[in-house]
Amino acid sequence: MDSPREIWSRLRLWLRSESMEREMDEEMRFHIDQSTERNFRAGMPPEEARRAALVSFGGVERFKEESRRESRPRLLEELLQDLRYGIRALRRNPGFTLVAVLTLGLGIGANTAIFSVVDGVLLRPIPLERADRLMVVWETDRNTGTTREPASVPDFVDLRERSRRFEALAAFQGLEVNLMPAGGEPSRLAALAITPELLPMAGIRPLLGRVFLPAEEKPDAPGVVLIGEALWQRLFARDPTVLGRTICLDGLQYTVIGVLPDTADFGSLQILSAADYSRAFADRGRGARVEVWVPLRTDPQTTPRSTHPIFVLGRLAPGATPEQAQQEMSAVMADLEKTFPENTARGAFLEPFEEVVFGPVRPALLVLLGAVALVLLAACANIASLLVARGAVRQREVAVRTVLGAGWRRLIRQFLVESTLLTAAGVGLGLLLAVLTLDLLVALAPGGIPRLSEVGIDGRVLGMMLAVSVLVALAVGLIPAFQARKTDLQATLKEEAGRGATTDRKRSRLRSLLVVAELALAVVLSVGAGLLLKSFWHLQQIDPGFRTQGVIKAEYQLPPSRYPRSFAAWPDWPEQKRFHDRLLERVRSLPGVESVAVAGNHPLDAGFTNSFTVVGREEEARDWPEISVRRVSPGYFETLDVPLVRGRLLRDGDGTSAPPVLLVNEEAVRRFFPGRDPLGQKISFWGSDRTIVGVVKNERFLGLAKTPPPAVYAPLSQVPSVTGAGSLLVRARGDLSTLSPAVRGVIRELDPELAVFGEEPLATTLADSMGQQRFTMLLLAAFAGLALVLAVVGVYGVLSFIVVQRTSEMGIRMALGASQNYVVRMVVLQGARLALVGLVLGLAGAFALTRFLRGLLFGIEATDPLTFAAVLVLVFSSALLASWLPAQRATEADPMSILRAS
Amino acid sequence: MGKESGDLIPGTLDMLVLKALQLEPMHGWGITERIEQWSKNVLSINQGSLYPSLYRLQRQGWITSDWGVTENGRRARYYQITRSGKKQLAEEQRNWKRLSQAVDVILEMTAP
Repeated sequence: MDSPREIWSRLRLWLRSESMEREMDEEMRFHIDQSTERNFRAGMPPEEARRAALVSFGGVERFKEESRRESRPRLLEELLQDLRYGIRALRRNPGFTLVAVLTLGLGIGANTAIFSVVDGVLLRPIPLERADRLMVVWETDRNTGTTREPASVPDFVDLRERSRRFEALAAFQGLEVNLMPAGGEPSRLAALAITPELLPMAGIRPLLGRVFLPAEEKPDAPGVVLIGEALWQRLFARDPTVLGRTICLDGLQYTVIGVLPDTADFGSLQILSAADYSRAFADRGRGARVEVWVPLRTDPQTTPRSTHPIFVLGRLAPGATPEQAQQEMSAVMADLEKTFPENTARGAFLEPFEEVVFGPVRPALLVLLGAVALVLLAACANIASLLVARGAVRQREVAVRTVLGAGWRRLIRQFLVESTLLTAAGVGLGLLLAVLTLDLLVALAPGGIPRLSEVGIDGRVLGMMLAVSVLVALAVGLIPAFQARKTDLQATLKEEAGRGATTDRKRSRLRSLLVVAELALAVVLSVGAGLLLKSFWHLQQIDPGFRTQGVIKAEYQLPPSRYPRSFAAWPDWPEQKRFHDRLLERVRSLPGVESVAVAGNHPLDAGFTNSFTVVGREEEARDWPEISVRRVSPGYFETLDVPLVRGRLLRDGDGTSAPPVLLVNEEAVRRFFPGRDPLGQKISFWGSDRTIVGVVKNERFLGLAKTPPPAVYAPLSQVPSVTGAGSLLVRARGDLSTLSPAVRGVIRELDPELAVFGEEPLATTLADSMGQQRFTMLLLAAFAGLALVLAVVGVYGVLSFIVVQRTSEMGIRMALGASQNYVVRMVVLQGARLALVGLVLGLAGAFALTRFLRGLLFGIEATDPLTFAAVLVLVFSSALLASWLPAQRATEADPMSILRAS
Repeated sequence: MGKESGDLIPGTLDMLVLKALQLEPMHGWGITERIEQWSKNVLSINQGSLYPSLYRLQRQGWITSDWGVTENGRRARYYQITRSGKKQLAEEQRNWKRLSQAVDVILEMTAP
């Protein structure tokens, strides 16, 4: 009474409900007056009448207090009570609780992880201004049929000048540069050379300093550079006075004029990856981040119309449609084609920027999101089924509670509180799983997925997860609540054992339904996983045309400062030649090395293509596509095991002073020399006629899924690389991991300032080239496995339930002479029936859904009968196995004891 | 049990109040008289306990109240059943029927 809390509560009541108190007084006084009056009329003396009225009313103060309590809202109290009750109920059944929380945790965790990837990659706003108005302007080649070629610098300058449908046009080129920090190890950076319009057009503002000026596009402008945030951190520890300092790239000094946010390279990697060639660092597999931006020098002298190194981006003018822009660009390209012979067969192809960036990953990510949602659905079905089963046990409890006056609302709320408790625990576990698996997921993901590094569990993801969890809690709580509502109170209380045949049958029908749904989901997911698995297998069966086993690669790029490139002297560049000769010689003498080669591009690098003619057939060449030019040292074919078909391989003697020679691949023969002998023919490009001396088998250097293009192999010494790019390929016996440091040591010895990158077994490069397929396949297989486990558990659960329920029937049958086999067959048949219904539904679902997979498949149809059949066998046999265990238990029933019990 | 046999089972008073109000709006005293009259004085309620019940029913939204004037010109609070109150009454009647039948069954059972 004296406690401050008591006083406060009274004070509050008094403040809030002074009028209520007054009214209550008046109401009760009225009651007692009326009662007194009746007593008086019945003949009691006034005093007596009043006393009797007070007695029959009871304690006024007590009822006032009770009334006050009753008029206060109760929600919180009842909720707390429900919560306590719920926790007690869950603790009473630790097995059930554990299974339910685990199932929900897995479902929610997997969904959270996948959703955070989808959200981070696809759904979050793009860090550019109005990216929907940005278009990629590709060049096309009618002869090759390629539509995603980069542009030439002169073409870009003309397009930029003549376009009206674009508010701005900009270009960039992917580069790789050697960074030589003062006193540090040289390192290899991904870089972009950009025209001054690019950053303002994309709406990217520097964190510090300024962007490039129009004058800095000129060839003779001083060397300036923009650096990314990460590099700023790494080199300068975010020092704000970095502006005006210099960094050394490829042996030249560049002045830092600004710092760009790390998101400033958004989309460039994907545009490079989408290109037919000139993919620069995008061919390096793992997601490269651009750290350095330099001005793109639009000098027609060094970059003629016949080379295509740059990528054009444009922002549509207000009101202009993509179609109008396409028409305009096509018209300009048609004009250029008339004027310049180098532009024969060239046109323009416009593609929305967002399509180029997200197009390649969207289908796979959406398929994964859909699949993981199906897993959650299966998890919900499983828990609902468990709760329904538990409902059987709780039937009496519900009945008793109803009798004791618990309203239906209250009961439903009780169920919801329990399902919410389960879901909350599931969310906790799921969040933990998501956090733990997300890093793994990101590590497993193929390179080239835009902004994958920014993926994380943030407010948006949590919000989505909570929304989904509320739905889960509702679904999981309401199903058993309504099931309980149908319970026949009277029957339940009447049956002593608490087990009613009719209600149980209804219950097992509901559970069977849920299990059928789980089986169907498992079929859908397994078919999807099966199709991807088979695609992947197909992909791996493909002979790449070169050997990866026992081969490692290491890449470098010789900077022009130390390896001068005099165009007048080409191809006689002694510095490059000397480096390569010494490199090959020293590496060859390393222990275990069997064979060694240097190539301009490693065998999974698309490299570049060039136009060419066959001497004597110049007219035909007008309609020919370009040919891939591979520059290799003579050891290339032995190192990679590329077989010679005819003629001879390249020799050390095919140097600058010897007559120019070439090898062609079989595809080139098929395409350009049908019915002719290619040997001795001369192919002309880069100002020389080169004699074909041999034919080799095809290498799939565009990737396993692509058909090998026509290619020529020229001796490295006769066509040295203008960019200085080189790829060392070493085949060795024994442990490759000890070889890598040795190779690095050799290069360090030859040129201590040269950055080495891409050191890995060629098998890794090949596996990474299938990264996206592998990623999608592994995840879908994991989801399918999860769904299958859930379905098997479901089948097992429902059949165990049925077996327990029919124990006495089995006992009687066995007593009457039924064999154990008969009983087993009976139960297994029941399981088979469930499985069949589930399979039929699942097949229908799979037929409807696998078409979304079509873009992800390789070498098979979305309705591949073999995959469907395999899944049928798998799911059906799993279901049978799951029903065999309860069947086995049924036969263990002792007929005598059962008969006695009933 | 003798004297106590007229006691109400917990929770049933609310049902009786709703039943009384189903016919017409009434004040507390009127409800008391009506219940006594119906049960021919078999059910004795502590009259005061009617009020917590009325406040509870109001909180649950099954009845509402308004001040009015009696035939004798006295101010009194009149209670009125709401639509959800009617539903609740129907539900409780059903439950009651099932319960009493169930209890009957149990009571009529002979010991095994």
